[in-house]
Amino acid sequence: MNSDRFLAREAIGDFLAKLIQTGYTVFCPQKQAGVRQSVIFAPWQKGQEILLDKATVAPKHLVLPQSEVLFRYTMQKDSAQPEKVDVSLDDSQASTPTVLFAARPCDARGFAILDRPYLEGLFRDPYYAKRREALCVLTLTCSSGCATCFCHWTGAGPSSPEGSDILMTEIAEGFVLQAITDKGKKLLAASQLPEAGEKSEQATSARKAAWQSLEKAPDLSQAPQKLAEVFDDQDFWRHWTQACLSCGACTYVCPTCYCFTITDERLGKKDHEEGVRLRSWDTCMARHFTEEASGHNPRPDKAQRMRNRVSHKFSSYPENWGAFSCSGCGRCVTHCPVGLDIRAIVLAALAATSPQQRAKEAS
Amino acid sequence: MADTAKATPRMQQGLPARPLINGNPYLPMPARVIEVIRETNQIKTLRVILEDDDAMERFHFEPGQVAQLSVFGVGEATFVINSPPSQKDYLQFSIMEVGEVTRALHKLTPGEVLGVRAPLGNFFPYNDWLGKNLYFIGGGIGMAPVRTIMLHVLERASDYGDISLLFGARTPKDMSYQYELPQWLSHKDLHCTLCVDKADANWPHKEGMVPQVLKALAPSPKNSLAILCGPPIMIKYTVETLLELGFAENDIFTTLERRMKCGIGICGRCNIGSRYVCTDGPVFTCQQVRKYL
Amino acid sequence: MSALANEERRIVGFLCNWCSYGGADTAGVARANQPTDLRIIRVPCSGRVNPLFVVKALLNGADGVLVSGCHPRDCHYGSGNFYARRRLEVLKRFLPILGIDPQRFSYTWVSASEGSRWQQVVTRFTEEIHALEPAPRFEDVEPLEKALTLTQEKHRPLGVGKQDWLAKLKEAISDKLADLDCVLGWQQGRDLLHSVPLFIQSADDLQKLRCDATCHNNLVRYLPDFKGRKVGIIVRGCEAKSLVQLLQEGIINREELVIFALPCQGLLDLPLVEEALGRYQKLEGLEITDSALKLRVDGKDVTLATADYLQSRCLSCPNDTPVLADYPIGEFTGESATTAQCPELAFLDSLSLTERLGFWRACLSRCILCHACRNSCPMCVCRDQCIAESREPHWQSAKASVKEKFFFQIIHALHLAGRCTGCGQCQANCPMGIPIFALRAHLNRVISELFDGYQAGLDPKAVPPLLTYAQEEANIQERSWE
Repeated sequence: MNSDRFLAREAIGDFLAKLIQTGYTVFCPQKQAGVRQSVIFAPWQKGQEILLDKATVAPKHLVLPQSEVLFRYTMQKDSAQPEKVDVSLDDSQASTPTVLFAARPCDARGFAILDRPYLEGLFRDPYYAKRREALCVLTLTCSSGCATCFCHWTGAGPSSPEGSDILMTEIAEGFVLQAITDKGKKLLAASQLPEAGEKSEQATSARKAAWQSLEKAPDLSQAPQKLAEVFDDQDFWRHWTQACLSCGACTYVCPTCYCFTITDERLGKKDHEEGVRLRSWDTCMARHFTEEASGHNPRPDKAQRMRNRVSHKFSSYPENWGAFSCSGCGRCVTHCPVGLDIRAIVLAALAATSPQQRAKEAS
Repeated sequence: MADTAKATPRMQQGLPARPLINGNPYLPMPARVIEVIRETNQIKTLRVILEDDDAMERFHFEPGQVAQLSVFGVGEATFVINSPPSQKDYLQFSIMEVGEVTRALHKLTPGEVLGVRAPLGNFFPYNDWLGKNLYFIGGGIGMAPVRTIMLHVLERASDYGDISLLFGARTPKDMSYQYELPQWLSHKDLHCTLCVDKADANWPHKEGMVPQVLKALAPSPKNSLAILCGPPIMIKYTVETLLELGFAENDIFTTLERRMKCGIGICGRCNIGSRYVCTDGPVFTCQQVRKYL
Repeated sequence: MSALANEERRIVGFLCNWCSYGGADTAGVARANQPTDLRIIRVPCSGRVNPLFVVKALLNGADGVLVSGCHPRDCHYGSGNFYARRRLEVLKRFLPILGIDPQRFSYTWVSASEGSRWQQVVTRFTEEIHALEPAPRFEDVEPLEKALTLTQEKHRPLGVGKQDWLAKLKEAISDKLADLDCVLGWQQGRDLLHSVPLFIQSADDLQKLRCDATCHNNLVRYLPDFKGRKVGIIVRGCEAKSLVQLLQEGIINREELVIFALPCQGLLDLPLVEEALGRYQKLEGLEITDSALKLRVDGKDVTLATADYLQSRCLSCPNDTPVLADYPIGEFTGESATTAQCPELAFLDSLSLTERLGFWRACLSRCILCHACRNSCPMCVCRDQCIAESREPHWQSAKASVKEKFFFQIIHALHLAGRCTGCGQCQANCPMGIPIFALRAHLNRVISELFDGYQAGLDPKAVPPLLTYAQEEANIQERSWE
């Protein structure tokens, strides 16, 4: 028996308002004014416009904020021994139940990709875990591809459920909501939305149509191996990164890039010293990312840094976790100031002959 | 739809499953400096105890494992614990002053607080070395990790074959652990050779770069392992010499240093391909990391 | 109203060690009555006061900042205060675009013997600060969500779409290619609408060359990377200015360069075009003319008015003729596109101070700190050594607060004072569409006002105004403290 629900287009506002009433913070795509529009996921309030556009930046900030406090430290003189200073650390963190509304399948898959290193590794990241548990992801399936996205190259597609709690598919009068996880089921059960009934079939055919609208994807199954092969081909990487500006746009708009830095900030000193240890987004495209205090840098050139980014997504992450760490959202392609295209680099690696092979052919 | 990435996940490659550790791995344990030893112009050794007596008592680590030391308000950096595990009274770290955090660590005096996240990383596989001749090579600050494992195996010297040490520094003044050198030189189970790049009139030991001295000493690779640590350039040339002498890549162990932040395999700085120096290292065989040296 | 009677405000004073600090001391020894709001920071010289010190204090809650040094011609170090005068005047005129009341900042000269003048200055400044409301906290300002209209009413025909000189250009490059390591140009990117840099090394590469309104990257950005090698570069008006500025600063060498110059046809604001097209899968055709952009998208024809989709800076472009060229190709009009000023600036000028602060707060809250603005700027020559990422000194916190993001933009803008050639890459490459060019454009306006119409990038031999001084400044009127 299917538990799908139906959400009429004009009822979205009420649906979200009810979620807010029950204690959720609801993040929706929202237009930002400027010289041109950008769309970001921001807390929605009743009465605000409902927008279903793909966001400029992936919603990973809901689980990995641009910067967050890992802990606060306070250094205080011991009252019994004034010459002794004690430190106390406070790592408490608050989290609120959050609904992410109208994410895209590539955004949701980003969460699944982040889950592995953050939750299933040697150490479980408590900050990430807390936010992730509190997050319910409502994903709007895509009805078509776009000029830069390529989810179906990476093992997903316009209606992939990975990372989503509820999948939402647009049909003629509104949306069919399908629960994927228990979290999603609970939310739908409490929603008082009408059952979708036979509308579910319309949703299925809409999804099929979306799949069919995509161009055939190249086979990337050999990408991990081929990228490992070109790893030492300096000419290959230099050629593909000649235009790179070493900014961090590609990594910050990405739903799956998760590198960070940790820094201390002193907050002041009156009768005692206190401060915070922060974790904030960092980018492997910057030279200082791996630069050691001695000045030694294992990735001094942009070619090596790009190699790290591409290899991480298509070779070394798959080696550790068995899947690509790219959901094919295409944002890095769209927003690169110099139009570097990760799809082209991966395809070139697949087509590349290794220097050894080249030498063999020449002789 | 089948997953298009066909590579085998690490669990299926026979790599050790990663144990889960409860609690907050980012939260340091408050600790206190009990002793500061000035080794050279640039290097100081800190002896540190954890504030919590219970934690100090329960603290266990293996030789080669590292710690993230925090100076609150300044930041964190990674150092190998260079006291042997049998030393239960304190944890020892030797720190070369090169950057912001090490500068702050150098300013600490006995009684001051710092933070410790430890133990992190893998360790020297000393149980696989039983019965072998061990050739330790330390260069400059790289003597720190070598010291831990060397003292550890010396405590059970009868389980191993010949144990030797080649310890080099730039000048006699740059040589750390001077107060221990007489002990090492006269140790019944240790063949200890000291060398400096540039000797002065009073230097009774060898003169020359570590690879050159090593070449002259020409240790036999038979049933032997080499464990070396030092600045990148020294490692590079010493490895070449060892290979020339006939050591197999698999029989050469070294530790790698990379800039680290999280220390727990997430933040993405220290990886070499798919391996993370902080969790899969810092100890590697030469075979694993040759092309990155 | 006496300042002494009111609740204290937070005023920061930067006083030079040799004169003003002594002056304050003299006032104190003479037991002159003074308000107590001022917190004094002693500096070696007023020339030591980085304008960023002042902005940082104001952004972090100071109600006022006062800088005081030796009288002009009296500097302990000879000329520190002459340089300071120029910088601080530029800063004072820069503050309004940020939304900070310029009255909150003042600079003056007090000598060590002038105890009573010091008393006068500090009392007067404190009174003025008290007359203002307490400084609004940037974090508390009401965000102002407002879209900019960028269309200009009139502009000269830009010649958009003309390609008759492309063959000539290719020929010129082909003739020189053998002597050059590489020639910097453009090629088609992922589709017809997008162009990316091209590094021409062979005849095959040259075939890919594309020069039209989609080629928005300023290639001068790459020149410092090629120092020591002989390279060719294709430039248009604004890009030639960036090149001249780098020559002026000694970052690149003239003899290592071969410059191919083109008349500019204006550049498309590609994200704006994309926004108009909406989500599309395939771009099958593109034709650009002065009046229309004809696109074929997913089997449908779309026509847009070209003028609505050009980068705003192109519509306010002062001159299309490159200032420096070895091989000028095509016809140059030498005309200004329009008399109007930059529309971003016109927009900000129309706002009140509080609104401006709110506007920046709203806009910058979505900044992702990717630093594409900085990394695409041809004038950001510090590259990997930017002070934004330095821990020592610790200019910026890693905390991703709007204030820190705003401060980063201020760092970038102030470091471009007298150097910005107005190429607009910072804004064109912002993934979030934040109109940050306005800050640079305003500074260019200030520099031009203060230094007799000076514009960066016109003369490789010129001395940039902030690296020199005049003993008597023609356009800087210092205030009297009577």
